[in-house]
Amino acid sequence: MNNEPDLPPSHDEARRNFLKQSSLLTAVALVPAPVVQAATAELDERVAAAIEKVPLKLEINGKKYKLDVEPRTTLLDLLREQLNLTGTKKGCDYGQCGACTVHVDGQRVNSCLSFAVMHDGKKITTIEGLADGDKLHPMQAAFVKHDGFQCGYCTPGQIMSAVACVREGHADSEAEIREYMSGNICRCGAYTNIVAAIQEVKNGGQKV
Amino acid sequence: MKPLSKQIGSTLNRVDGHLKVTGAATYSAEYELPGMSYAVLVGSTIAKGRIKSIDARAAEKAPGVLAVITHFNSPKVPGFTPTGKDPSQPQTTGGRLKVFNDDKVRFNDQPIAVVVADTLERARFAARLVKAEYEQEKHETDMAAGLRQAFVPTQAKKNPKSGVADYVRGTADAYKTGAVKLEAEYVIPTEVHHPMELQAIIAHWEAPDRLTIYDKTQGTMATRRDFAKEWGLPEENVKVIATFVGGAFGNALHSWPHESAAIIAARQVKRPVKLVLTREQMTTMVGYRPHTWQKIGMSASPDGKITAITHEATGQTSSYEEFTESTVQQTRMMYTAPNVNTRYRLAALDVSTPIWMRGPGEATGAFALESAMDEMAHLLNLDPLEFRLRNYTDKDPENGKPWSSKFLKECYQMGAERIGWSKRQLKPGSLRDGDWLIGYGMGVGTFGAHRGSSKANVRLLPNGTVVLQSAVTDIGPGTGTAMTQIAADTLGLPPEKIRFEWGNSEFAPAPTQGGSAIVNTVGPAVQEACLALKEKLRTMAGASNAAFASARKEDVVFADKYLTLNGNDTARASYADLLKQTDGGFVTVESKPNGENGQKYSMYSYSVHFAEVRVNPLTGEVRVSKLVSCADAGTIVNQKTAGNQMKGGAVGGIGMALMEATHMDDRFGRYVTKDLADYHVPVQADAPAVEVLFVNQPDPHVNALGTKGIGEIAIIGVAPAIANAVFNATGKRVRELPITPDKLV
Amino acid sequence: MNQFQYVRPSKQQAAIEAVAKDANATFIAGGTNLVDLMKRGVMAPQKLVDINRLPLTRIDHDPGKLRIGALALNSAVADDKQVREHQPLLVQAINAGASAQLRNMATTGGNMLQRTRCPYFYDTAMPCNKREPGTGCGALEGINRMHAIFGFSDKCIAVHPSDMSVALVALDATVLVSGPRGDRRIAFADLHRLPGDTPEKDTTLEPGELITAVEVPDNPFTKHVSYHKVRERASYAFALVSAAAALDLDGSTIKAARLAFGGVAHKPWRLTAAEQFLVGKPATEETFKQAATVAMQGAKAFKHNEYKLRLAPNTLVQALKNATAA
Repeated sequence: MNNEPDLPPSHDEARRNFLKQSSLLTAVALVPAPVVQAATAELDERVAAAIEKVPLKLEINGKKYKLDVEPRTTLLDLLREQLNLTGTKKGCDYGQCGACTVHVDGQRVNSCLSFAVMHDGKKITTIEGLADGDKLHPMQAAFVKHDGFQCGYCTPGQIMSAVACVREGHADSEAEIREYMSGNICRCGAYTNIVAAIQEVKNGGQKV
Repeated sequence: MKPLSKQIGSTLNRVDGHLKVTGAATYSAEYELPGMSYAVLVGSTIAKGRIKSIDARAAEKAPGVLAVITHFNSPKVPGFTPTGKDPSQPQTTGGRLKVFNDDKVRFNDQPIAVVVADTLERARFAARLVKAEYEQEKHETDMAAGLRQAFVPTQAKKNPKSGVADYVRGTADAYKTGAVKLEAEYVIPTEVHHPMELQAIIAHWEAPDRLTIYDKTQGTMATRRDFAKEWGLPEENVKVIATFVGGAFGNALHSWPHESAAIIAARQVKRPVKLVLTREQMTTMVGYRPHTWQKIGMSASPDGKITAITHEATGQTSSYEEFTESTVQQTRMMYTAPNVNTRYRLAALDVSTPIWMRGPGEATGAFALESAMDEMAHLLNLDPLEFRLRNYTDKDPENGKPWSSKFLKECYQMGAERIGWSKRQLKPGSLRDGDWLIGYGMGVGTFGAHRGSSKANVRLLPNGTVVLQSAVTDIGPGTGTAMTQIAADTLGLPPEKIRFEWGNSEFAPAPTQGGSAIVNTVGPAVQEACLALKEKLRTMAGASNAAFASARKEDVVFADKYLTLNGNDTARASYADLLKQTDGGFVTVESKPNGENGQKYSMYSYSVHFAEVRVNPLTGEVRVSKLVSCADAGTIVNQKTAGNQMKGGAVGGIGMALMEATHMDDRFGRYVTKDLADYHVPVQADAPAVEVLFVNQPDPHVNALGTKGIGEIAIIGVAPAIANAVFNATGKRVRELPITPDKLV
Repeated sequence: MNQFQYVRPSKQQAAIEAVAKDANATFIAGGTNLVDLMKRGVMAPQKLVDINRLPLTRIDHDPGKLRIGALALNSAVADDKQVREHQPLLVQAINAGASAQLRNMATTGGNMLQRTRCPYFYDTAMPCNKREPGTGCGALEGINRMHAIFGFSDKCIAVHPSDMSVALVALDATVLVSGPRGDRRIAFADLHRLPGDTPEKDTTLEPGELITAVEVPDNPFTKHVSYHKVRERASYAFALVSAAAALDLDGSTIKAARLAFGGVAHKPWRLTAAEQFLVGKPATEETFKQAATVAMQGAKAFKHNEYKLRLAPNTLVQALKNATAA
């Protein structure tokens, strides 16, 4: 299959997988919609699983993972459904609420809007990786102290976003915090308390 | 012994705070069970008609698919058997939707199939392959049409004393002949709860007759009752776990089709099934605040005394289930007026069933009443606060009873002072700051201080920890924290020694969380259970120790490892010894409201909200720059969580006033605002620093704690406060919410 | 979502070929719009060509122009010192869009190519000519409060949702494109197209063409600028109407102006006639109102968006006032 685009050397495995997929598809004369076709042609289950997955290396909360995932698996669903890291929440699945906020290489992003495979080789930090053992991160402690939540469902996303907000230098005033935290919806409406928590951390001078 | 600081009234941090900030709090979809499978619902694409056929072949053949269930092949649900009524006739009192039970489509996006697969991705993909053919019937989703056929709720027909039946005090419609007269219509669009957690359930048949569900619900007992009935099982065979609930605001007060579907699916595939709704499905099938039309007629004497009010309301409901709420209640009891009448009607449309949304009907009704109060004050050229004071009532005008407690005047005063009400100008459009007009408005909220029955059980452990268990849920207000405080004070223990466990139908029965009634109801049960534990332990210790035998339970003191007595710490009974007796440290108590007090007094919580808004007259943008909410909610158990709850209600009110609305394309009977980009809820930048003030005076009659409830009054009255402030800023009266820029330019 | 092939070429040319040769392949960068649309079944590519690791993230200020790589993140552009210094209008527009998280994912090229947020486009159970040509425009006779007042056709009345693009069209930007038949430059105003009879085509890009950069020429609009976005909440919402205004003032006299609307048409809507009108006039509210009247010529509303006929000119006046005061 010489018309496949080239891949970086580290993706040899992925390449082999694609090649395998392509030849498999050729073998059963199915082009070009692999899965719909696999579905309707009642391809053997194991074959279907094999062609659907690609290898993926991630470092999550300091731990290295070697995984095989479907390209269509989002980072959020990978965390929640396959790795049991359910601290990261699904609130809308469309990038409209911020509950799924995690850090990828230190930057806050919506984990629902990217495929896990796109983050191959990257470092992910979720709410589970924020505390230092039993010692809460200063932002976590400030959220408890200022009651920056009610139901708690948006809270992991709020905290991950808040930590990034301070690190980015976007927490210099109440107005700036309000704007740069607007990507995290709290339907319980604990907004004022969230701002208080962020301001305390920002002004406290602790390392975030 | 060192005296303990009192916990009730303190600012104790949430007992579950650590779990929530570390991601360790487990919500319904987050339990790991072996053999988990994933279900995805397929919704109808028409609003009314019959399903002719469903082609599930492609879905069934898709990788990983375990089952595709439709009404053609659904396992029989015993509770769905027909009741003998003609099922082809629409019956608004027919009850919950029986999913996959017949070929009828009653609303757009009604679940018509559920696809179960071994992974979420595969289930989602296969669900897209299911194709249905319909025989479409003419649907009606337009409220205007619904209004033309509005009807008296069945509940009111059956019981003329029902809260939704017509009410008359003095002469009906007397406003029409009043000296100063106002007649205005107010509209609230369909609003959606949209809690941040998507509705989710894991259904697991542990045995053919034993069901466990991890479910997003506000009431573990009610959910257990519903699904035990659905499957013809004894209630004790159904276990409902809802430890953490990611917000609900009312939409988990009912059992919904997706829950039935997941249970059916789990039955079919014989594996645990996880079903999480999409954000669109949160709009279409798990309730909403109904689109409501209201009309207020009001008359007053030139000196500012209300002579008559007529309040009419029609709320939307579904074609198969009658939903009613107390939209007109506040008008009956809030102001002294010799002539008051209310009419409440329903409009049945081809939509799914509404459900109470925070503050429920009272918040909808208060928008009309409190807007009308502002309009009348303007007609009378009176300050709206002064107008309210002139019509203040010291007894309940609906029934002549005294109030159990009422500190509304204190709220008026505290709130007005804090917002700077004196800056308000009578003439609209008088205040300006650069490009922005400034206005002030107020609105009043009230909600019944309800108390129901509840049990609580309590157990002393040998290490001196006291564990309480209640089936109650904590959807965010901090129930677990408040109960811990109540137990701590009652037992004289520090909160760290109390463990309150909740959210499990196997714990002591407690009511559904809703109607601002949980602290009122479960609080006394916890208090009484703790007192009973003290008495039980004292009696037990008294069997071998004369000092305990003659002591009062009030003197019992819990020391580190033993029980002792106040003023006599040589009297000791070690926990280890006491707990050798069978079930020695375990007590269950049932707490009931004082029926006599309920008969003697009218019991209500009150809130007054003051808003300062800034309006850009060019662009119609409205910003709430300041909001002061003052509440008379009886004893405040936790200043921190209660304050937070009030702030949250205010934010909800901002949403209601300025942005929340669904839009339905009536040609298709299908919503076009189904996700959080199209349906706007307030974000951080919309929320001003809400200031909360509590009168914090105990009510002597609701319960021994003196509480009255906060959850609803936090939002009731906020939307009209903002609408009134917009009028004060601009001179524009918006009577149809939300006040979006298009209505002001 | 359907299963798809995922490839991550390390070279630009390989990426271009991969898409050019396969009608069912598409580029993915930030994914903030594409992943969303794939989840809802609105788009179902069978091959995704991940371009995120191509070296297209640089932001350079060369003499006379700013050059922003197509993969420069929105947040990186908005926080970049050179951009802030030379193109403050662009910074305001970018920061008015989405959320901090999304701006950390969305790229410069991807932002331009985001698709409409029309709810009929998003719901596969509704008619939409853009999603499924020939099914009709759901919004035309439906709920059209968010829809176009300029440049629509009876096939489509959707609007383009990008804020960044409104600033770029006002600032005379140029898009650099690389495709199977080589490189070309497209004036920003010519990148997006009007719906006409083929609303399924958002842009003038050919299959396989990849945006590699955008260039913004230096200009005197470094102080008196404003991007005023009116939406239904204070942040994190698409525009009802937005206006970009950039003024070059000599005292209180307008030497030059750049103006554009967002949220009013199938493409970011440049207002050249109103710009011309302003030249040489005093920067007063009266002048701005007259310019807004010029800007609105040819506007036409539908059942639910009639308010835009008032909101759009007013928003432009507000933006011009802000720009003058800046």
